[in-house]
Amino acid sequence: MVKKKIAKVLAFRYTILAAILILLAGGLVLLPKYQKHEGIKPEELLSNTISPERYMTTDRLAHIIINQDPSFILIDVRDEKSFASYTLPNAINIPLVKLLDEDSKNYLNQNQFDVVLFSNDHFYADQAWILCNRLGYKNMRVLKGGINEWYATIINPLKPADNMPATDFDLYATRKAASMFFGVVYPEQVKVEAPKIVKKVAPKKVITIEKKKKAEAEGGC
Amino acid sequence: MGPLIPNGVIPVEWDSIIAILIGIAFGFVLEASGFSSSRKLAGQFYGYDFAVLKVFFTAALVSVIGVYYMDYLGYLDVTQLYVHPFYLWGAIIGGVIMGVGFVAAGFCPGTSLCAVAIGKIDAIVYVGGIMVGVFIFSEMYTVFEPIYNGYFYGNVTLEDSLGINPYWFVFIFSMIAIVAFVVADMVRKRVKKVFY
Repeated sequence: MVKKKIAKVLAFRYTILAAILILLAGGLVLLPKYQKHEGIKPEELLSNTISPERYMTTDRLAHIIINQDPSFILIDVRDEKSFASYTLPNAINIPLVKLLDEDSKNYLNQNQFDVVLFSNDHFYADQAWILCNRLGYKNMRVLKGGINEWYATIINPLKPADNMPATDFDLYATRKAASMFFGVVYPEQVKVEAPKIVKKVAPKKVITIEKKKKAEAEGGC
Repeated sequence: MGPLIPNGVIPVEWDSIIAILIGIAFGFVLEASGFSSSRKLAGQFYGYDFAVLKVFFTAALVSVIGVYYMDYLGYLDVTQLYVHPFYLWGAIIGGVIMGVGFVAAGFCPGTSLCAVAIGKIDAIVYVGGIMVGVFIFSEMYTVFEPIYNGYFYGNVTLEDSLGINPYWFVFIFSMIAIVAFVVADMVRKRVKKVFY
């Protein structure tokens, strides 16, 4: 009895399979579509954005540059004009508008290097960082304070006042040394030679004494 | 998440090992379902056995539906999948040669190796023929190169070239498949049965 029933159902097996295929394929068409997110999830982006982990201090960057750490790429996100006028040593220029170009991708989307983004302050660099982070690029950093901070701390460090703690003096010494590395010259560095007092020696007057010409022998024998 | 190897879920080094395992499974299934018989394969062209059409059409259908469901649910990214490059004339000429070889010998390259594995002499001759063809092609590569490398249209899919919605395409494709199955069955019933 049971066998007969099974046989009855199995007689329609191909029809059933065809119906399943159509149902599944039709399901694909009918399913509600949603916008797919490229890159990381919005929640993850938000938590990354809040976290200050991405910031790198100018001191740390100076240390990296001085030690010639090969695992970092510096990327200047300002426009070409600013890049041409001044930038950090060995920086690459990728203006913010060109950030998502195919050529820029090779620098940004990789695992070998840490990328340090910087601009005049860190706002443009932060924008670049968010775009990259959204796409899931790894190892992205932002120079805190950007080039302005770089100037204020490394190139032209503020001398601590006398009543400040010793750590400040140490920091100042380090920054001063770093600034010397980047070509700043301090007054005490330049040896100003004390002017030698040279006694004026009065030029000797050469008095030429005209020798009396020997009288020509006159006559003679 | 997927595809697994490009996204680093499975290390790239496992590539070849997985390929070998899948190859063994594929060969086993081919042989177990009788695809190492040239008569069964040739039946496709003479109308007494449509197993090849049904198997490969069903396989394509199941995988395309599965891939798009997995894409929808976020387990697989369709855009990351490998798309075969499209060389127009290379594909046409190669397809014609392959089709003639298929109907003449009753094997496609994959099933021929399957049949060699179980010791079929016609398959051994067929594989010898493939080797001769490969040799001729390699020797005359400079002559064939413009066709081989020319007429390149990129790694395109029907979605790119026709601008068709992939979901609708899958639906239409499955309709075509079912119609093809029904027609194939009708043809098979009318053609004189061949026992092999």
